[in-house]
Amino acid sequence: MSEVNEESESIGMPAPTAWPMVSAAGVALAAVGIATNPFISVAGVMVLMVAIGGWLRELTPGRGEIEETWVPVDQRAREVVASSRRVAQPRAGLPGNRSHFPERVHTYASGVVGGLLGGGVMAGTAMLYGVVSGRGIWYPINMLAGIVLTRFDDVSKLELERFSVTAFIIASLLHLTASALVGLFFEIVLPTLPKSPVFWGGVVAPLMWTGVVYASIGILNPLMSEHIVWSWFIASQFAYGLTMGIYVVNAKKVPASHIEGASTADGRDHESQS
Amino acid sequence: MAIAEPTIESPAPPLVTRLHGWVTTVDHKRIGLMYLMMSLFFLVLGGLEVIWIRMQLWSANNTLVEADTFNQLFTMHGTTMIFFVVMPMIAGFANYLIPLMIGARDVAFPRLNAFGFWMSLFGGMILYLSYFTGEALYGAGSAPDVGWFAYAPLTSPAYSRGSSVDYWILATLVSGVGTLTFAINLIATIVSMRAPGMAIGKLPLFVWMMLVDAWLIVFAFPPFTAAQVMLLMDRHLGAHFFDTQAGGSAILWQHLFWFFGHPEVYIMALPAFGIISEVVPVFSRKVIFGHTTLAMSTTAIGFISMGVWAHHMFTVGLNDGLDAFFSAASFLIAVPTGIKIFNWTATLYGGRLRLHTPMLFALGFLSMFLIGGLTGVMLAAVPVDWQVSDSYFLVAHFHYVLFGGSLFALMAGLYYWYPKATGRMLDETWGKWHFWLQLIGFNLTFAPMHISGLMGMPRRVYTYQAGQGWEIWNQISTVGGFVMGAGFAVMFVNLLWSLQRGRIAGDDPWDAWTLEWATSSPPASYNFETIPIVRSRRPLWDKKHPEDPDWIHE
Ligand code: HEM
Ligand SMILES: [Cu+2]
Repeated sequence: MSEVNEESESIGMPAPTAWPMVSAAGVALAAVGIATNPFISVAGVMVLMVAIGGWLRELTPGRGEIEETWVPVDQRAREVVASSRRVAQPRAGLPGNRSHFPERVHTYASGVVGGLLGGGVMAGTAMLYGVVSGRGIWYPINMLAGIVLTRFDDVSKLELERFSVTAFIIASLLHLTASALVGLFFEIVLPTLPKSPVFWGGVVAPLMWTGVVYASIGILNPLMSEHIVWSWFIASQFAYGLTMGIYVVNAKKVPASHIEGASTADGRDHESQS
Repeated sequence: MAIAEPTIESPAPPLVTRLHGWVTTVDHKRIGLMYLMMSLFFLVLGGLEVIWIRMQLWSANNTLVEADTFNQLFTMHGTTMIFFVVMPMIAGFANYLIPLMIGARDVAFPRLNAFGFWMSLFGGMILYLSYFTGEALYGAGSAPDVGWFAYAPLTSPAYSRGSSVDYWILATLVSGVGTLTFAINLIATIVSMRAPGMAIGKLPLFVWMMLVDAWLIVFAFPPFTAAQVMLLMDRHLGAHFFDTQAGGSAILWQHLFWFFGHPEVYIMALPAFGIISEVVPVFSRKVIFGHTTLAMSTTAIGFISMGVWAHHMFTVGLNDGLDAFFSAASFLIAVPTGIKIFNWTATLYGGRLRLHTPMLFALGFLSMFLIGGLTGVMLAAVPVDWQVSDSYFLVAHFHYVLFGGSLFALMAGLYYWYPKATGRMLDETWGKWHFWLQLIGFNLTFAPMHISGLMGMPRRVYTYQAGQGWEIWNQISTVGGFVMGAGFAVMFVNLLWSLQRGRIAGDDPWDAWTLEWATSSPPASYNFETIPIVRSRRPLWDKKHPEDPDWIHE
């Protein structure tokens, strides 16, 4: 990197100049004048014009550049030398310098599909609750739309039971996106979790999620919390988590390098090359 | 390894000559350093203001400052921190590092670069001039007191007499032009001045993220500038863009402001992501996990962040459909962000971690930013936002993002690249003191604000009644503020002390892989004697490990 260029003693670099600073000072003065006294603005504009003139002169041939001499050899960077340290060899079960962790992952598609499937089962559970409880099949859908539709903020139960096109569209969009994204997220994190993935997806995640919602919703949205029946809320979370978890776990795994599309696992290809 | 002190120290030139050298410099490295010094200077001012705020809120019915003064303090604090601390710090890092990292001798427009810096600095000076020039157009005024977002109609001549609002407009306008020149210069540099072999796909992640960042600046700042000019016209020429009493629209200001203001949050966050993406792999001794997904998710964040501004406006009463759209778009941004967090964590996993100060700050960033991101997702739900908007919950959230995110990462960068810029290492012991004081102080300050916010404490109140259960949380916050102040004091001592006494760094103290470590510390004005030739994303690794270079794998 730091081979000495023996041929020339120097290199052309832009010359120092005060005109950029003076130009900026001109602009600033012109601005300050607006808040204080117009004469300051006038002075600022004049300073700016002079500075632009000076700046332009710097751009003419033969000016604006200086020859910078190379720094003495002992102050230059040293050549980057080969390290005596050997590259870490891949150890069993642990990622080395260049390797991916996790080594094998599920495809993104499996996460999305699993999420959507889970979302379907979840919606079914929730609507079943609507029917069983006698509140009507649209009740859970309207509740979901209430996350963004402020109209449902303080409505009677009655309106929550009625079909609404807007609420239906919004709830479906929300539900599908959220289901797919949670599935995707789960698919990405899954290989980093220890063992028993169905346990994480089907038990831990729904419990945690329900806990968070339960703890915060009373403060954040008291009205909403009155309408939630927790047993069914949890049931539909489990329905989602289990379906999605089981699907993703059974999906085919591929080497991480396929997804990344670039480098390969540490050592492996290298070894086969040498 | 002991390296002898350099012996060729020629006698230092007189102070005036040296100052003249700084004022006239067009060297991107010196300009970068000036940006950083400016940022640290304003950090002190913004910090002093907030210490004042926190002391006022120590107890109920406190009378340390008056309501008007309080308004000025939080306005100046917010404006200072965003425009004159975080932004110049970013410009400083980018200016110093990017030509070095892409193997260039300079930036594309060196003189314009200097101009951009001076505009930023003079902008900051205009802001603080407001404290000194009270008497003006309408005979009143002093520091601005309308919040860093300057909502209409507060800024109309009817509500803000005097010229304090003008100072706010002009300060942000002038520095904004500086920021824009910086961004344009940066794009030109990255696009046209890369070393041979450095394809776009081989850019170091910091450079890639700064490229997206510069584009965001180019899209977000001009509308802001336009809005400011409109406001100036309202105030001085009788235009009525935002004057509700004459048919103008206050909502229009909010749209224009947040069309800039939200991307601005990512403009401050992306460079932080870039720094983390450089620091984490080097201190984990591993290749970054998912170079491509990190780059792509940055681009996705850039695009999505342009389309979520109205989540700052849920409470102004837009229609339901619009709220729903902006809510959904805001949720969406969690996905690319989540991918990044995952990539960094996966890079840490199984690595041989070296817990030096830069790495500590990087880990601090990861955890604090995660908390800020989670409360951000909560706020993207409209009813939640309705509940806690303009409460201390919001203040807690954005400090976890901006301070826990940006500033922690910027500190990681400071400790990581200081040796390159000065030739000396920062002291590790003091660095660790700084880190722990900042981490503990930060959480003491801002975590309780979640609680006081949920308990109903509105932001921007200068005092409050006793007996609402808010005192204890405010007191913890105030103590935390002082702890953090102590942390920054340690940092300043370290920066100054190490400049003279720090351990000599050598070219490549961290055994890193990107090109800036291939020059001397500090680098010569022309950066490299010969322009390096690049074959992979880690050119120095290739040289250090000819037996297993990266380019066979990429
Ligand atoms: C990078 C660092 C920081 C940034 C970017 C930042 C940004 C901001 C912004 C934008 C505001 C809003 C001002 C307004 O409402 O108009 C604010 C307010 C505030 N900040 Fe900071 N800040 C930072 C550091 C700090 C520190 C170190 C503390 C405490 C020690 C602090 C405590 C506060 C407080 C108490 C408020 C007032 C909240 C209110 O009344 O609305 N900030 N900050
Ligand atoms: Cu936003």
